Amino acid sequence: MSKRNVSRRQFLNYTLTGVGGFMAAGILMPMVRFAIDPVLKASASGGYVATSQKVSELTAEPIRVDYTFDQIDGWYESQVTNTAWVYKADDGKIVALSPVCKHLGCTVAWNTDKEHPEQFFCPCHMGRYTKDGVNVPGTPPIKPLDVYETQEKDGILYLGLLKPHEGA
Amino acid sequence: MKWTFKETGMYEESKEYVDSLIIPMNPITFGAQMKQFSSMHEFMTILTMEVEKQLKGRLLLMPALTYWSEGQEKAGLIDIWKVKLAEAEFKHIFWITSDSEWKRYEDKLPGTLLWIPAIGLEYLEEGQARQMMNDQVRQIIDMLTQSWNK
Repeated sequence: MSKRNVSRRQFLNYTLTGVGGFMAAGILMPMVRFAIDPVLKASASGGYVATSQKVSELTAEPIRVDYTFDQIDGWYESQVTNTAWVYKADDGKIVALSPVCKHLGCTVAWNTDKEHPEQFFCPCHMGRYTKDGVNVPGTPPIKPLDVYETQEKDGILYLGLLKPHEGA
Repeated sequence: MKWTFKETGMYEESKEYVDSLIIPMNPITFGAQMKQFSSMHEFMTILTMEVEKQLKGRLLLMPALTYWSEGQEKAGLIDIWKVKLAEAEFKHIFWITSDSEWKRYEDKLPGTLLWIPAIGLEYLEEGQARQMMNDQVRQIIDMLTQSWNK
């Protein structure tokens, strides 16, 4: 027989505190977890979306780069594929332009107007932009094309947020 | 522009730039062709949405004109639309459908009929379907821009 006797009062105290503690923990844990959840979640690389474009394959000629992301649009979530016009500028910087015309939102394309080569052209109302995305005066658009933030990771091009053109 | 509150508002503001109307036409039935027609509807929806996305600033995409494949007179439909279209000022009107029946009414329709045989997207894998769709969209956009430049 051990000398340390546990009285009935002590036994009940220990058991109830123990069980109560577990119960409290069981209730509080999910709450705490829930409260700090956004902190624990790994950030999706700051809103950058991966494309399938290798940075090393970019040239001075703008090319169409597609990227897909999940868009929540009011009621439903859907996969949306968007496009950017990407090229390497003379100073080696990567330029990614939004294809959305600043006039009324049509999609512009590179070098499709035979009379004005080496420009972005909007088929809707003949809007034109020079290669750096600046609108050609006298055509309907009044603002330059928006510019994507870009990032290179493992040789792959990532597109970030759309920003208004700096030269504006 | 789409048939939504926001974009019809945009249309009213910039009417002088929007001179084209696209009307998709889809047959419906509870009969044997139900699956075929629903596939057509799916194809038309994606196709017209894509075209709208690319040429948003110059065209208004109507909600699809949906009609019973049997028992609904196409000639009657055309008559109503003719009157209503005359009230609006669209220079270019494009009727777009996978229903070959419309071929017989081509000269009665005000505007241009674009008959596009539906691709059964359900038989293709994702990448292929996307590619096929892109090609179709490109061709339709070429047709539209050509008639604009005429």
